[in-house]
Amino acid sequence: MARRYDSRTTIFSPEGRLYQVEYAMEAISHAGTCLGILAEDGILLAAECRSTNKLLDSAIPSEKIYRLNENMVCSVAGITSDANVLTAELRLIAQRYQFSYGEVIPCEQLVSHLCDIKQAYTQYGGKRPFGVSLLYMGWDNKYGYQLYQSDPSGNYGGWKATCIGNNFGAAISMLKQELADKPSIKLEEAKDLAVKVLSMTLDTTKLTPEKVEMATLQRVKNTTVYSVLDKPDVEKLIEKYNKLQAETEAAKKEKQAKQPKS
Amino acid sequence: MALAEICKISNASYMKPTAWTSADANEDLKTFSCNLANPYTLAAPPFENPMLNLNQIQANSGKTGIKIDFDHGTTTLGFKYQGGVILAVDSRATGGQYIGSQTMKKIVEINDFLLGTLAGGAADCVYWDRVLSKECRLHELRNKERISVAAASKIMANIAHEYKGMGLSMGMMLAGYDKRGPGLYYVDSEGSRTPGNLFSVGSGSLFAYGVLDSGYRWDLQDKEAQDLGQRAIYHATFRDAYSGGIIRVYHMTPTGWINVSNTDCMELHYKFKSEKEAQ
Amino acid sequence: METLLGIKGPDFVMLAADTTHARSIIVMKEDQNKIHKASDNLLISTTGESGDTEQFTEFISKNIALYKMRNGYDLSPRAAAHFTRKNLADYLRSRTPYQVFMFVAGYDETDGAELAFIDYLANAKSLNHAGHGYGAMFCSSIYDRYWHPNITQDEAYDIFKKCIVEIQKRLVVNLKNFNVSVVDKNGVRNLEPISAQSLTDYNASS
Repeated sequence: MARRYDSRTTIFSPEGRLYQVEYAMEAISHAGTCLGILAEDGILLAAECRSTNKLLDSAIPSEKIYRLNENMVCSVAGITSDANVLTAELRLIAQRYQFSYGEVIPCEQLVSHLCDIKQAYTQYGGKRPFGVSLLYMGWDNKYGYQLYQSDPSGNYGGWKATCIGNNFGAAISMLKQELADKPSIKLEEAKDLAVKVLSMTLDTTKLTPEKVEMATLQRVKNTTVYSVLDKPDVEKLIEKYNKLQAETEAAKKEKQAKQPKS
Repeated sequence: MALAEICKISNASYMKPTAWTSADANEDLKTFSCNLANPYTLAAPPFENPMLNLNQIQANSGKTGIKIDFDHGTTTLGFKYQGGVILAVDSRATGGQYIGSQTMKKIVEINDFLLGTLAGGAADCVYWDRVLSKECRLHELRNKERISVAAASKIMANIAHEYKGMGLSMGMMLAGYDKRGPGLYYVDSEGSRTPGNLFSVGSGSLFAYGVLDSGYRWDLQDKEAQDLGQRAIYHATFRDAYSGGIIRVYHMTPTGWINVSNTDCMELHYKFKSEKEAQ
Repeated sequence: METLLGIKGPDFVMLAADTTHARSIIVMKEDQNKIHKASDNLLISTTGESGDTEQFTEFISKNIALYKMRNGYDLSPRAAAHFTRKNLADYLRSRTPYQVFMFVAGYDETDGAELAFIDYLANAKSLNHAGHGYGAMFCSSIYDRYWHPNITQDEAYDIFKKCIVEIQKRLVVNLKNFNVSVVDKNGVRNLEPISAQSLTDYNASS
């Protein structure tokens, strides 16, 4: 049955669904995980890297996190070639705005502009939608630090913390739990949280610095500072997490040992 | 012919081996009369910078023998006062030194509540006033209410602005009565549009202004206002060689326009003369 | 012949513009307002080729209104000035250039006051005080003499009076009446127009 309605993006199925768009979303939920956390003193993106071949040239630093303009950075989950087209488009949109208004584009405008393009690909004939979800972190003078997420259908939303890609559902519910009793967190705490969530949701058992890419964005003295964390820094974060994990594990065992067996 | 192709003139009629075929004539006819189907696609003169070059062609008419003096020369005026709007115009159309008509209707009745005066190129004004009439009627049919003077004048100003620099020559007033009360707008071929209480347009306008400014008050009575408009035009026809003929006076009231009088300026001349002598 | 004036203070911008609408040698109107309110915190004053002034100012104002509708916040004065300049520059290089001279004046909570001078060649410059037209030539020295960085609105209004007295005394063209508007943190306000009549017992040296 589905065959009749899933060969073209522009056609609704009798149940009112657009299969091609749903398939695109499905493709993304198998891609490397990306998560973003909004902290009070900055904002963070972390991404899982799947291609950890030893032969890869490490001189090319960032694979999944892209600088868009002075104030914005995004990370992608999905088909990398599609993502390259979209990030190029994002950079173009940002510069075009700067060309006509002489100011840096406000974050939401950039996101919504790209989503207009993504939406168009779900509607006009003969095109397949972009198989990419994006997380954007940015700062503007209207609303301060902002974290956005957009998907292949052209929907977007602003978040305090969110996740796309593999196991995103589990990651989001973890983030929800961790942040439930906190109105806001510091950037340093956010880094720890990111490592924790990633290591819990990643399919592989052990988290290594090669598999994680992390970047932060902060406002220092009226300029936006974007930095990608070095491998040793990521390693430290992972070690810290592993140590903490081992301690809690040990504590749990001790507790169990103390409990009288019934 | 390669050069002709590079210069993109290989298709021009003067580059063709046989100068004028019936197909060419048909083609030209189509280009130059396309405005019959869509009035906004008026063909531009077939040379660069029409505003400048048309003036040169006209200036050299003695040498070239190509005499294209458009009908020109007018005195028109309009003013608002407590009883509505008065429009008064002459009726002479001149092409150069030659009087083309003494009976022109320089007030166009667009609908029962909207009048337009014309000054400048007679053909331009008549043509675009007709387009405006059409637009106003369409507005009425689409919206089930009459167009406001502001909106009508805006249509005219937008047309004028679109054709700016193409050699149009118009200076018109639009008078009407709508929800906002009496309206009077001045619109010209430069694209400017401005509301006001008192305007005069045309070659005789400075003569009309003299009389009008001296006698104008907001609280004029209807008869006084109508006479003032008529008199201002009369004095302009006396001093301005390009104005004359019949002096038409229209009065825009809350219930629509009234054509108050159409009097030959010569008749008025002797009437005013005898009044002066009687004093 | 038509004249626009502008003064920027620490937290406001004041604009003045004559109200004459002339065609060749005839004054058609004496109450033409040339200072347009583009948004809650933005004024645009325009002079130049008749027709172009109204069309271009309206085009810019409507685009600024559209921006607010789309995004829920106003364009900053600096961005508005940049946008105006950009459009004027693009039209300059098209078949239908606009011949307009303008001031884009605004106040913004974060960026403060902004007075942008824009001419028909799309030169744009942020200035403390400026003028367009013949009348402005008499005013530059008055600005230089009386303007200071902490100028108040009353002082700025008084400088305009001095300028207009000078224009009416020395310029061969008769510019009777000037509209004055100001934009500050409270938004846009029209001040009392300065006319030959209102200046009858004004003494510029007092």
